[in-house]
Amino acid sequence: MMIRRRFLAVGLGCLGLAALPAGIVRADDRQAAAGGLIDTMIADLQAFLATDTGDVEARAAEIDRVLGTYFDMDTITRFSAGQYWRAASADQRTEYEMLFREVLCGTIVGNFDQLNGLAYTPGATSAKGDKFVIVGGTFTDTSGTRPPVAINWRVLTRKGKPPRVFDIEIENLSLLVTQKQENVAVIRKNKGQFGALIEAMQARLDTPLHSK
Amino acid sequence: MKLYSELDGIGAHLSAAGILIAALVALSGCSATPPTERSDARDRYEDANRKVFAFNMGVDSYVLEPVASGYRNTVPEGGRTAIDNHLRWASMPSTAINSTLQGKFENAALASLNFLVNGLTLGFADLSEDDREVQREDFGQTLAAYDVPEGSYLMVPVLGPRTTRSLAGNVVDIVMNPLQIFGTSTTADTVRTAQAPVGAVSFRANNFDAFNDVKYNSLDPYARTRSVYYQTRLGLLEDRVADRAGSAVSEDEFDSLFEEAK
Repeated sequence: MMIRRRFLAVGLGCLGLAALPAGIVRADDRQAAAGGLIDTMIADLQAFLATDTGDVEARAAEIDRVLGTYFDMDTITRFSAGQYWRAASADQRTEYEMLFREVLCGTIVGNFDQLNGLAYTPGATSAKGDKFVIVGGTFTDTSGTRPPVAINWRVLTRKGKPPRVFDIEIENLSLLVTQKQENVAVIRKNKGQFGALIEAMQARLDTPLHSK
Repeated sequence: MKLYSELDGIGAHLSAAGILIAALVALSGCSATPPTERSDARDRYEDANRKVFAFNMGVDSYVLEPVASGYRNTVPEGGRTAIDNHLRWASMPSTAINSTLQGKFENAALASLNFLVNGLTLGFADLSEDDREVQREDFGQTLAAYDVPEGSYLMVPVLGPRTTRSLAGNVVDIVMNPLQIFGTSTTADTVRTAQAPVGAVSFRANNFDAFNDVKYNSLDPYARTRSVYYQTRLGLLEDRVADRAGSAVSEDEFDSLFEEAK
């Protein structure tokens, strides 16, 4: 009985070893694809910054393009509404998608000047299960006035689909989780009404961003 | 953004232990918000917390924000660095003791060395030539390491967000302030008294834009503050470092998000 168990263990071990290289290759491929996506996006942004004239409309158009090209906006939008996404009507979902993207663009454009003078250094990359890859990196201020900022890009790597960013983590702070928790709080404080979040986002858009 | 980890550090310098204890006593008398009316299950005293948050924002608007703005514009970079150095130096004994209690002996040794070397200038000048950064450890983190539950989320007057565990830890950290050992000498008293307000202004100035973004541009500044606090605190408890990609805790958070998306 003991010998049979040993054979079984050795057999399973061999099967595991045989399967291991294929698994590693797949994870490596996903990590390389995710890292490549971030490198391309950074190069793309740097090219825009090099010719940026400060025109707000041009910046907004560029941010919208970057979001559409490199980010999985459908997933981000759904996640940001938490469990209340399911309860929202089709019209509410459409309106929310539009408002969410507009608010996101407006926030990035409002902080656009902070992107100037930053150098990006790629960091470690690690696969998280079969769903996504985390690509690390650091932004350094070339003038040395701001401290370096560690960043993690969460990149969806689904089979048969191109990799897409769905979250950015800055110094342990996930922007998507923060937005989701804030959105859910707005809905819950209004007795679970998804419409309350839409109203709050509309009000946000109607108010100019606080200047730095 | 190291917003609330630094804020915790300021709490450790405050000599106003009375504020902490009074806050605990006052909140123990508050009635809990019914679970169905909470915007986050962890926020047991949400109604009372939101009132304290509104008060804190008032204090910020009338006192801290204008003073921090002036501090940023008038105190030269070198002066601000010296103040930050001193505040960090004052937390070294607490870091050394808490690191030891958590079994992080290398960090404890680094903190002790830093404290002794920089003690010559009361920490205002960084004389250590060691590139390894001391990871700040507080008694709240030590309690977490010994599996003490984190308790409720509390918005403490003036100090800001805490959990019951981190607030209790702050009280212990105050006792470890090195200036306590100088007794009641006038100089020590002056520096000790100045640490709290200077620390608060320095913190606000160092995080001026990030803080204003939460305060003025959020859909719900209270909820965003709570989210930022919990995530930052979790990062400290998990000892996540900047160059290590991700953590199991964050992955769990996204697992639930993937479930929701199905």
